[in-house]
Amino acid sequence: MSTITRKLVPLILLLAFPAILRAQELKLPPGVEKLASKAKETVEVNMDGPMLHWASKFLSAEDPEERKAAKLVANLKGIYVRSYEFSDEGAYTAADVAAVRAQFRSPEWSRVVGVRSERDGDNVDIFFKLENEKMAGIVIISAEAKELTFVNIVGPLEVEQLADLGGEFGIPKLKTKPQSSKPMAKADKGEQK
Amino acid sequence: MTETNKNPNLLEDALRKALRPEEAPEGFALKVLARAQQQNSAAQEAQRTSWLSMFSQPFVRWAALAAVSICLVIGGVHYRNLQRQRAEGEAAKQQLMLALRIAGSKLQLAKEKVNEINTSRPEPQPQNRSPRSRS
Amino acid sequence: MPARPLADSAPDIASADFADLVRRYQSMVFSIAQHFLTETAAAEELAQDVFLQLHATLSTLKSEEHVKFWLRKVTAHRCIDYQRRRKLPQVSLDEAPEPMSPAQSSDPLVARRLQQFVASLPEKPRLIVILRYQEDMLPEDIATVLAMPVATVKSHLQRSLALLRDKVTRTMGEVTI
Repeated sequence: MSTITRKLVPLILLLAFPAILRAQELKLPPGVEKLASKAKETVEVNMDGPMLHWASKFLSAEDPEERKAAKLVANLKGIYVRSYEFSDEGAYTAADVAAVRAQFRSPEWSRVVGVRSERDGDNVDIFFKLENEKMAGIVIISAEAKELTFVNIVGPLEVEQLADLGGEFGIPKLKTKPQSSKPMAKADKGEQK
Repeated sequence: MTETNKNPNLLEDALRKALRPEEAPEGFALKVLARAQQQNSAAQEAQRTSWLSMFSQPFVRWAALAAVSICLVIGGVHYRNLQRQRAEGEAAKQQLMLALRIAGSKLQLAKEKVNEINTSRPEPQPQNRSPRSRS
Repeated sequence: MPARPLADSAPDIASADFADLVRRYQSMVFSIAQHFLTETAAAEELAQDVFLQLHATLSTLKSEEHVKFWLRKVTAHRCIDYQRRRKLPQVSLDEAPEPMSPAQSSDPLVARRLQQFVASLPEKPRLIVILRYQEDMLPEDIATVLAMPVATVKSHLQRSLALLRDKVTRTMGEVTI
């Protein structure tokens, strides 16, 4: 199991504004919000459009990673992250995660990836929001044994832009064209759990 | 009655004679021209240093010092504001990069899980065909 | 000499003009100062200062007539300032010594005595007499130079002449001028 090594991060304070909450599409239930008190480390990022625009001014054009980030962020309307790392397993319940997943059952959202691993208990769901056949947002829900992460990226995100990030941040290059031969994981065919 | 009283113009004539222009002392013109030349040089030098001489006035010195101090304070405040903005911007940038890295890592995780599943599944076997009878 | 605008002069010609002006008017300026102060050294120093001031302001003067007027005016005012500053002794007209013998009009002593009598006049009347009889200026021109009303100039002139006449008569007796 690969986990994200958190070298940093005690609690990172927000650069948030109240308006952020309206732009954010992912609503965390109270049960999930309370996980912060149990977590050994918590990452919370709330960046709406203006804040993204302002922060992107400080991205260096000489750094390849930051240069691509600037390109991606240019059209985004918000980035919201909640990530909890726990000392022990079982700090959260499946019901907590299910409650969040249920928010994306609406027609505008499509679950493109749903992975359930019984071996190590890692579950990852990726939802795409489409508007006029274009990417308008992405939600990632990663539920691992000792780590729970929610990511919501809002904005007219082109799939190709997301693909560009692959390899820079460790984002896999998602195949936009259908692949022949190998069957997809059963969770891809609609919501299973 | 004097002659002057009989003829007032005589006094005036006498005055004209007495007050006739006299020759300037010898070398007067040369002395004037030499001093004029010195005056030119001094004027040029004074022009060069006039702005410095302004500071010989205590009031000007204090005013200049006050002006410089105010500029330093304003400049310092402005610099601190810029530094603070830069620090805040850097912090925001770090948050942005962190958020993107987290999102990227989770996508990477999803990819790995998909690959795991795909590689762990056995290859689908081709369907068995009924043997054809030889004719 | 016809009036020539000095403002048209190129800088190098202006320098030559200044030297030329000094040579042309040094006698006039020195004499006004000499007749007023009756001290040669003081008169020479004052006259030099006048020309140095001319040198500094030459570019502002438009013509030679303007220069002449300017020189007379500045010399007159400097004479008054100089005397007040230095507090040169002024011989009263009444205190001037009487000659031992009657003098003739052509006698240099008469001229010298008249100069002394003129020098004993108060400042403004003294200048008026000098400008009138040395420079042969009209009362109107003298009024302009000294910045005083014409009537005042004429009044000073009349009283000064009367004083001088009286002094000459009392001190020199019968003088055949």
